[in-house]
Amino acid sequence: MSRFFRGGDDSSTDSSSEEEEVYTSEEEEEKVQAEDESSSEEESDEEESDEESSSDEEEGTKKKGASRFLQSDDESEEEEEEQSDDEATTKVKSAKDKRFDELESTISQIQNGQKINDWSLIANEFDKLNRQVVKLQDGSKAPKSYIKAIADLEDFMNETLAKQKVTPKKMNATNARGLNAVKQRIRKNNKEYQTQIDAYRKDADAFMESDDEVAAPKVVSKVRFEAPVVSAEQQEEDDKGFSTVDSRGKVVQYTPESILKHLRAIIESRGKKNTDRLEQIKVMETLNKVVPITPYQKIRVLQTLISARFDLGAGGAAQMPLDQWKAAERDLASLLEILEKEKDHVVVEGAEEWDDDDKLPTIPEGEKYLKVPGSVVSLIERLDDELTRSLQAIDPHTSEYIDRLTDEGSLYNTIFRGLLYYEHLRKDVSLEVPQESLNRIIQRRLDHVYYKPAQVVKILEENAWKQVSAEADSEITPRSQSGDAGKLINILSNYLFENSEGIIRARAMLCQIYFLALHDEYYKSRDLMLTSHLQETIANFDIATQILYNRTLVQVGLCAFRKGLVYDAQNTLQEICGSGRQKELLAQGVMIQRYSQVTPEQERLEKQRQLPFHMHINLELLECVYLTCSMLLEIPLLAQTGSSPDVKKRIISKTYRRMLEYHERQIFTGPPENTRDHVMQASKALAAGEWKKATDFIHSIKIWDLMPNTEGIKTMLAKQIQEEGLRTYLFTYAPFYDTLAIATLSSMFELDSRKVSAVVSKMISHEELAAALDQVTETVIFRKGVELSRLQSLALTLSDKASSLIETNERTLEQKTQGSANAFSRKDNRGGGQRGGGQRGGRGGARTGGNPQRQAGGTQFTGGALGNAVRG
Amino acid sequence: MASTSPATVNGDVAPANYDLVLKLAPHLDRHMIFPLLEFNAGRLKEDETDKAREILAAKYALLKKTNMTDYVANLYCELEGLKEPPAEYAERRQKVFHQLEKYEQETAKITELLQRDDVVNNLRSDKVANLEFLKKEHDVTIDMVNALYDFGQLQYSCGNYADASELLYRFRVLSTDNDKVSYATWGRLACEILTMNWESAMEELQKVRESIDTRLANNPLAQLQHRTQLVHWALFPLFNYDKAREPLLDLFFNAGFINTIQANSPWILRYLTVAVITNRGRAKNAGVHQKQMKDVVRIVKQEAYEYQDPITRFVHALCIDFDFEEAQQQLVLAEEVLRSDFFLLAHADDFVDSARHLIFESYCKIHARISLKDLSARLGLNNDDAEKWIVNLIRDTRLDAKIDYQEGTVVMNHPPSSVYQQVIERTKGGFFRTQVLTAAVAR
Repeated sequence: MSRFFRGGDDSSTDSSSEEEEVYTSEEEEEKVQAEDESSSEEESDEEESDEESSSDEEEGTKKKGASRFLQSDDESEEEEEEQSDDEATTKVKSAKDKRFDELESTISQIQNGQKINDWSLIANEFDKLNRQVVKLQDGSKAPKSYIKAIADLEDFMNETLAKQKVTPKKMNATNARGLNAVKQRIRKNNKEYQTQIDAYRKDADAFMESDDEVAAPKVVSKVRFEAPVVSAEQQEEDDKGFSTVDSRGKVVQYTPESILKHLRAIIESRGKKNTDRLEQIKVMETLNKVVPITPYQKIRVLQTLISARFDLGAGGAAQMPLDQWKAAERDLASLLEILEKEKDHVVVEGAEEWDDDDKLPTIPEGEKYLKVPGSVVSLIERLDDELTRSLQAIDPHTSEYIDRLTDEGSLYNTIFRGLLYYEHLRKDVSLEVPQESLNRIIQRRLDHVYYKPAQVVKILEENAWKQVSAEADSEITPRSQSGDAGKLINILSNYLFENSEGIIRARAMLCQIYFLALHDEYYKSRDLMLTSHLQETIANFDIATQILYNRTLVQVGLCAFRKGLVYDAQNTLQEICGSGRQKELLAQGVMIQRYSQVTPEQERLEKQRQLPFHMHINLELLECVYLTCSMLLEIPLLAQTGSSPDVKKRIISKTYRRMLEYHERQIFTGPPENTRDHVMQASKALAAGEWKKATDFIHSIKIWDLMPNTEGIKTMLAKQIQEEGLRTYLFTYAPFYDTLAIATLSSMFELDSRKVSAVVSKMISHEELAAALDQVTETVIFRKGVELSRLQSLALTLSDKASSLIETNERTLEQKTQGSANAFSRKDNRGGGQRGGGQRGGRGGARTGGNPQRQAGGTQFTGGALGNAVRG
Repeated sequence: MASTSPATVNGDVAPANYDLVLKLAPHLDRHMIFPLLEFNAGRLKEDETDKAREILAAKYALLKKTNMTDYVANLYCELEGLKEPPAEYAERRQKVFHQLEKYEQETAKITELLQRDDVVNNLRSDKVANLEFLKKEHDVTIDMVNALYDFGQLQYSCGNYADASELLYRFRVLSTDNDKVSYATWGRLACEILTMNWESAMEELQKVRESIDTRLANNPLAQLQHRTQLVHWALFPLFNYDKAREPLLDLFFNAGFINTIQANSPWILRYLTVAVITNRGRAKNAGVHQKQMKDVVRIVKQEAYEYQDPITRFVHALCIDFDFEEAQQQLVLAEEVLRSDFFLLAHADDFVDSARHLIFESYCKIHARISLKDLSARLGLNNDDAEKWIVNLIRDTRLDAKIDYQEGTVVMNHPPSSVYQQVIERTKGGFFRTQVLTAAVAR
């Protein structure tokens, strides 16, 4: 039984054992009556007296029991705290503590034995107790609880012996043997501890004489001191054989002078196997609270305390307990407060350790500051990480998650204050605060705002400004600018962009792009994305940054979609959504791979990378957008290329194609159930020229409601579907018409005739459609006789393949020679021309590359639809 | 860009909304902005006295910092309604004269030296050696050379562009200070532009371009800024000197410069578009023109979100949306804009004509039969003129088209491109490219 359970247990068993006692005495009575049927009056008298005496005795034990009850109750109060701490964290205890626990449990066993007069049990436990106590002994001192136990035991034994003389019969054989054994041993044993026992007896006597009401608080006070002191002592003894101090001398123990020594001891024991971190934290808490200390000491204590709290969460997947996190957050806040108040104390990295054992460090001559080694930014970062970890572990659909999320506000405040502090430090050049610390803290701040809507950021900012003093202002992010989230993000990321490099710089950029994309600034975000050239280098960054990059990419894609730029949206999302591994790429869930070869280690890492739920991008919405875009692009393309075999290679989205094929294979199709079904059935309708049906399907997708401005998006989609429907229709049915009136088309697709002719003109001009417009009759005339023979189309394909082969060869060689071969002057020229478009970003090229590509596709297969239709 | 928001697409927009002076001004020199302001003032109607005053004030503010004291004084009088300019102007004028004299003396010797044949003949292409030589033989110090530069600057500031140009030229011959030489080149470019000496302006422009490409290669930001400025300055020769057009268009379509335009000054697109469209008949090489046209279309499309005006919208409507009616409307607006633009005024007719060609070309490409009547309405001509115009066009562009007079239609014939031709096209360069490839591998 753990020591920490004893208190609570004690109280409960006390009451129950009392009952038991009553019960047993009754039983005894019955037994006696049964045994001696012809009981004499004397005997009964005797018995009565016996009963009286035993009841007397019972009263005594009861009183003692009561006192014990009170004590233990009190103890249990104290210990319950510990217990809850302990329970929530870890069951790891030092060996010493374990022994101590064992001792305690043995004592309680003895007490139980006493209650039921089980002397054999008592004897056994007593032996055990003695063995244990030897191990626990330091010098001549035995644990107090032990002394108490043996003193009580002796008393009880004497009483029993006295009782036994009166009623010798009642003791059975084993019990008697046990009693004897105890009797012999306890005499011998107790001599060793006579002085202590005496001391205890005196106390106990005083307690016995005085009234309960008066006595109780006395005991309470005693016990209250006892508990922490014992542990503290244990600690001290553990570490360096600190000599024990009288329980009441504790206040003296934590003198201002000795604080640092204590700290040192704690720091030294840090990371060692047998240290009880909780105990250390408790010690430090008292250190921090009890004594009025100098700022230096306070800073040191707080620093160590916060680190110790973090240590609790270290190692394994276990996250930090909530109360410890909160305490750490509070401590950090008070640390910052002290630092803000005491301007001449600074915490800087790489400062010299003070030799503070003997005397307090003072500000050295000729220097402005007392430099304390440490790193505020690391503490803040750790606090942030711990919050994330705990958010990862909590089920996001519970209210607990939301509760936990509210802590982000206070964390943000802490970060903000930290930032102010570092800015303050940076002002003094002599401190040589590295730029990197400031960057790190700004990065943290940015990390907390970039994915939030402007209103939320505004609230965060307001709260953060509220808690600092009115005159405090930030140079980097002035108070006056704090109202505008966009500006704030801009300032923060620009600062990082100018003052940092590598990953932080890339992250700052991505955060800014993400924010812009989130707030519908498509062009700005796209341009930034392109000018950052991150798509070329992103593979060299760490995984967290890659995830951020993916998130940003997706957000830009969604933004493009909201703007109605289907082509751009599809293009941007392709990379992430086309892979079918969105979950993994966005760190929003672990993919379960069927034949996975992941080691537990990898899995753990993967889990660590997961984003907390509130940062997630809705995957279903993402899929919906991606599929809808793919539909709008693919269906006309499919219609254009028809079923000709050599055109298959032009696929915009493989994922979409696969789904479509799967859908088409199904024999029965019920009404659509999920997003995918909706899009697929819409695709089918669109391919058949039934644009209205397609629109209905798309509009009935529920998830659009998650988009801001749902109606606008639906109208946009309807418009797109109309146009693409018209294109699809023309591609599909062109072979069956000689002429088509514009007016008919316009009424069919409910577009005005001007729009229809514009669409048709565009198709003709891009040579997608072998037709011409007749202005006089307002009709589209489809040209005949453009169909290719099999041989001809194969020849075209062959020539295509040949030229692409040459191109691939050239590219390979160019890569090999790093473009140094001047032989490619022709190629270089062309590249230059293309770069004109692409220079705004590699992607610009790709984007614009799309159109010529489409054109090229058209030229290659002039009248492809016609030809195929005729052939097929 | 607020003034050119898409909301005004169909509305009757005052051309003033598309006035780019404010956009151009930051990238031009004071002296170059002046003609723009003058032009704006010239276009004002009698009753717009408020605006006239505004422009006057702008002119004054613009020139206040220059040393053209007399003119500034006049402006001030006009602005304040005074008869006599205040005394301070006379004072300043005196000062400027003093300075001029001072510099004249300082540079007298070197100027005199450079006019002597025996000295000039001894100069080589090596600047350092030249300076050495002058030092040794004629006691020329580096300060004297620098005085040339300062004097040039002062002359420029006073409006004596020709003299300034000459001084700067001399300075450049002698100075070894690279920074100052490049400033001097910019200065000379400005002088030549302002004296409308286009040929030498083009030379200077080329020099500036080289120095941007080479000297600033490792400073992208400065490169961007300098390029932006150069692009703006180049507008003067672009629209005033026909021979400059092709080299300048080449310059504009150079990767570095087109990026500069896209990134830093999308409004230049208007000028670029006009230049390309009006260049269609003149370009020696039709292929180059087509490529430029394609580039313009692409860039207009890319930049549509950043910059729009009737001219770019015309291109957008015609070449991207194929909305001929919209293109027609935009053309009308574009003409107005052109007529109110300092640079484009002279090219307005040219542009409209070329734009009509462009419309017709793509119209013919798409249509099989066009009613003459409708076409003439579209072109804004009467029937007979339209017929003539079309006949000329068919002849010029070798369109496969006929006029059916009885029906009153133009009938287009679009022969489908032959498969054989396509295969030939595609396999054309294959052999050569493979050869090059093998050669490269063999090396």
